[in-house]
Amino acid sequence: MQIQYDTQRLSLRFFMLMLVLFLAQVAFGLILALQHADPAFLAGTLNFNVVRAEHLNLGLLWIIAGFMGAILFVGPLLSRRELAAPWLIKLLFWAFLLTVAWNFLSQGLAAQGVAGWWAGQPWFQEGLEYLEAGRIADLVVLVGFSILAYVVIRTFPPVREWNEIHWGLGIGVIALTAIWVFGLFYVPRLDLQEYFRWFVVHYWVEGVWEVIHISLVGFLLVLLFRVDVKSVGFAVFWGVVLVWLSGLIGNAHHYFWIGTPEFWQFWGSLFSALEPLPLVFCFWHVYLDAHQNSKPLENAPAFYFILGSVVLEQVGAGILGFSMTFALTNVWSHGTWVTPSHAHLALFGTFGMLGLGAAYYAVPTIRKLGNFDQRLGKLGFWLVFASILGIAFAFAIGGTMQIYVTRTLGLDWFGGDVFPMMTLYKLLVPLFGLVFLLGAGIIAFDLMTMGARAQSTAAFAELRQATGWGGRLSGFEAGIWLMGMWLFGGIITLGLLAFNLPRVRVEGDPTLPYLLAWVGYSGLLAVTLLFVWRFLASLEGRVATSRAVPWGVPEGAVAA
Amino acid sequence: MSCREGEPCAEGRKRLRALLVLGVMLVGFIVLSAFSFLGSRGQATPDEFRFGEYQAADGKRVFQAYNCMGCHTMVGNGSYFAPDLTDEYEKAGPAWLAAFLPSAGGWPTEGALKVQLADPAIAAEAGVSSLEEYYAKYPGARARIERRGGGTTLMPNLPLTRDEIGELIAYLEYTSALNTEGWPPEVRTGGLERRLSLARRAHPVLSAGALPAAGPAEAAAPVTVADNSPGSGVTDLIQQGEELSRNYACLSCHAVDASRRVGPGWGGLYGSTVPLADGTAVTADEAYLAESILHPNVHIAEGYPAGIMPAYENQLDEGEVAAIVAYIRSLEQP
Repeated sequence: MQIQYDTQRLSLRFFMLMLVLFLAQVAFGLILALQHADPAFLAGTLNFNVVRAEHLNLGLLWIIAGFMGAILFVGPLLSRRELAAPWLIKLLFWAFLLTVAWNFLSQGLAAQGVAGWWAGQPWFQEGLEYLEAGRIADLVVLVGFSILAYVVIRTFPPVREWNEIHWGLGIGVIALTAIWVFGLFYVPRLDLQEYFRWFVVHYWVEGVWEVIHISLVGFLLVLLFRVDVKSVGFAVFWGVVLVWLSGLIGNAHHYFWIGTPEFWQFWGSLFSALEPLPLVFCFWHVYLDAHQNSKPLENAPAFYFILGSVVLEQVGAGILGFSMTFALTNVWSHGTWVTPSHAHLALFGTFGMLGLGAAYYAVPTIRKLGNFDQRLGKLGFWLVFASILGIAFAFAIGGTMQIYVTRTLGLDWFGGDVFPMMTLYKLLVPLFGLVFLLGAGIIAFDLMTMGARAQSTAAFAELRQATGWGGRLSGFEAGIWLMGMWLFGGIITLGLLAFNLPRVRVEGDPTLPYLLAWVGYSGLLAVTLLFVWRFLASLEGRVATSRAVPWGVPEGAVAA
Repeated sequence: MSCREGEPCAEGRKRLRALLVLGVMLVGFIVLSAFSFLGSRGQATPDEFRFGEYQAADGKRVFQAYNCMGCHTMVGNGSYFAPDLTDEYEKAGPAWLAAFLPSAGGWPTEGALKVQLADPAIAAEAGVSSLEEYYAKYPGARARIERRGGGTTLMPNLPLTRDEIGELIAYLEYTSALNTEGWPPEVRTGGLERRLSLARRAHPVLSAGALPAAGPAEAAAPVTVADNSPGSGVTDLIQQGEELSRNYACLSCHAVDASRRVGPGWGGLYGSTVPLADGTAVTADEAYLAESILHPNVHIAEGYPAGIMPAYENQLDEGEVAAIVAYIRSLEQP
C-alpha cells in the first residue's frame, strides 16, 4: 500500500504535529485533574484558568491538525489529481505552528489580567471558554482556514462532478471558515456574547465538524473496506441533512439560561432531542460497511479508531447529549461536572479518534509499510478508549453529587462544601488520566516511529476462532447493543429528571437520582466497552480466513 | 449519491429540497433570535449599571482579561472549578465584594466588611446605612463571614487595581440583574443548618473535612471587633494587635514575613527604609505605620497600587492603631 499522489505526503507533517499537540493537551489535562484534587497545586505559578485555557485550545488545535491531515490525505484521492498549490499548504503548516506557539504563550497573560485591548478588541487573549485565543491568533486562524478551503475547492473536480463526499467536505471547509467569523467580535452584552459564542463553539462542532466527520468517516470506510462510494454517499447525504435540520435550532439548548427568552426552552429541547438521529444513522452505517461485504480488516488500528469515533459519538454526543438537552434536565446538569462527562466523550471520542484513525491509515501508507506491527496501535486504542470512558464516569457521578450539593442544597462554595463530597471522583479523574496519558504516549510513539522500528509480522500470527464472541455480528445483535446503550441513556435522563421530584427538591433525599445515575452511567459505559470489544472481535475473526497473504505489501518492503 | 445502488437518484432535487427545508428553519431561527434581543423584552444591559464612577461594560472586559470563566462559571458557562458568579452580587453585595476582591486569597471578616461600609460611597451603592441592614439585604455576606471569615480561600490573589475592582463589582451587579429564566433553580431544602445536615447525611464519610455552619473564624477568633480593651503590658499590646489584625483580616493582604502578598509583608518592616512611589523614602517608624493604617493613600510604597487599602481612620482608635503597630514591630525579619 502506498500513496498514489505525491502531495498526499503533505498530510504527514500535520499528523505529526497533531500527535505532539495531543500529548501536550493530555499533559495539561492531567495538571487540571491534579489541581482539582489539590487546588493548591501550582496555584499562583500556573493558575487553573491558564492551564484550562491551554487544555481546551490544544484540544481544538490538535483536532484541527488531524482534520487538515485527513483532508489533505483524501483530497487528491477524491479528486484524482495532486493538491492545488502545495506551497500554500506548506505555508499553512508553518503559520499554524506559529499560531499554536503564540496562542500557547499568550494564554498565560490572563494571570496578569492583560488582554491586549486595542480598538475595542482583545488582541492577546480573550478569556472566553473555548475562544480563549486573542484576536491576533483568531485572524491568523481565519486566514489559515481560508487557505485550506481554497486548496480543497481548487483541488476538487468541477462542482457538477461532485459526489456526496465532495459536497460534505466542500461545504465543511467553507463553513469552517464562515462560522469562525462569529467569534471575531467583542460583544459587550453577556447574553448576546453567549449567544454568539455558542455559534462558534457548538455550530462549529455540531454543524461543521460533524459534517466533515461524516464525510471523512464515509471516505475512510471506502478506503478501508474498498466499498463503493455510492453506498457511503447515501449515508453521508442523509447524515449531513439530518445534522443540519436538527442542529440548526437544536443548538438553542445553549440558550435556556443565558438571559435569552423562555421560548428557546421549547425549541431547543424539541430539536436537539432529534440531534442523535444522524449519529444513529452514522453508527448504523459503520456496522453495514464493516459487515455487509465481510472483507477482512486490513488496517486494524485505523478501523479501531474509526469505530471508536462513531461509537463514542453515539454515546458521548448522542446519548449523554440527549440526557441533558431538555430544559427540565439541563436546569440541573448545566454548570456542573455532568457537562464535561459529555464533552470529553464527544470531543475526544468523535473528533480526536477520527484524527487518530486517519493517521493510522495515512502514516503507514505514506511510509509504504504494508505489513506494520499493529499491536501497539491496538493497545493504545484500548488504553485511551477505556480510560476516556472512566474519565467520563468519574465526571458524571461526581457531577451528579455536585448537582445535589450546589443546586438542591444550595451549598455553592466549592472549597468547603462541594469538593469534600466529590473527593473520590476528583481522584478518579487523574487516575484514569494517567492511563490515558500512557495510551496517548503509546499511540504517538507508534505513529511517529512507525517504519523506523524493525517491522514485525507477529500481528498476523494470531488466528482467532470465528465463532462465539468472535463470531459474525448480525444486524439484529448490533441493534440490541444499540438499544442497550439507549436504555441506560434513558435511565441517566430519568436520573436528571428525578432532581425535579419534591422528594429530592424539597425533602432533600438524593437516593433516587444517585441510584439512577449509578445504574445509568455504569451500565452505559459498560455496554459501550463490551460492544466495541464484540464488534472488533467479530472483525478479527475474519482475519483467520482471509489473511493467508498480507495485503498490499510492496515487494521487498518487508525484509525477511 | 443520495440513493442506494440501482435506485434512481434525482440527487439535485433531493439536495434542493433539503436546502429549502433548511432555509425555512434558518428564517425561523433568525426571527426567534431577533426577538430574543429586542429592547422591549426589558432584559438588563451593561450600560444600565455602574458602581460609583465605574461602568459594568468595563467590568466585562476585566472579567475576560483575567479569564475568570477559566475557573468560575457565569450563567452556568465556564469551568466548574469555582462558584457560579451570576448572582454573587445579589448574595454578598458590593461591600463584601469590595473587601474580597483585592485579596481574594483570604475570606473577609466582619471587620473588613465594616471598613468597606464606612466608605459612604459603598454604603450608598449597597443602599444600607448599617451593618445589620447590610446583612439583612445581602444574607450571603453574613453566611460567608460566619462560616469562613478570616480563613484562606482556594483563589489566588490577582493583581487587580482599584479601578478594575470597581468595574468588576459593577459588572457583577449587571449579571445579578440579568433575567436568566429561573436558573439557577431556587433552593427549596430549607435553612442552612438543615441543608448542611442533609449534605452530611448523604456523604457521611467524605464530608468529614467540610466546614460547619459557623466556620473556623468563630473558633479561632471572635468575629465581632468591638471590645478589645487595651492591655497593660507590651505583650498584651502585641497580643491585642495580633487579634485586631485577624479581626480586620489585615493578614489577607500582609504576610507576617517579608514576602509580598497584596501589600508589603510586615516581617522586618518596622525600622526599615521604605521607598515611596513619589521617589522619596521614609523610615517605617511608629508615626509612618500609624499614618499608613489611618490614611493609606497618603504615602504609597513604590511598586504597590494606590487605592487598594481602605482607610481605617474612623474604625480604629489611637490605642488600637498603637497595638497593631506594636504587633508589626514584634515581627522581626527572620
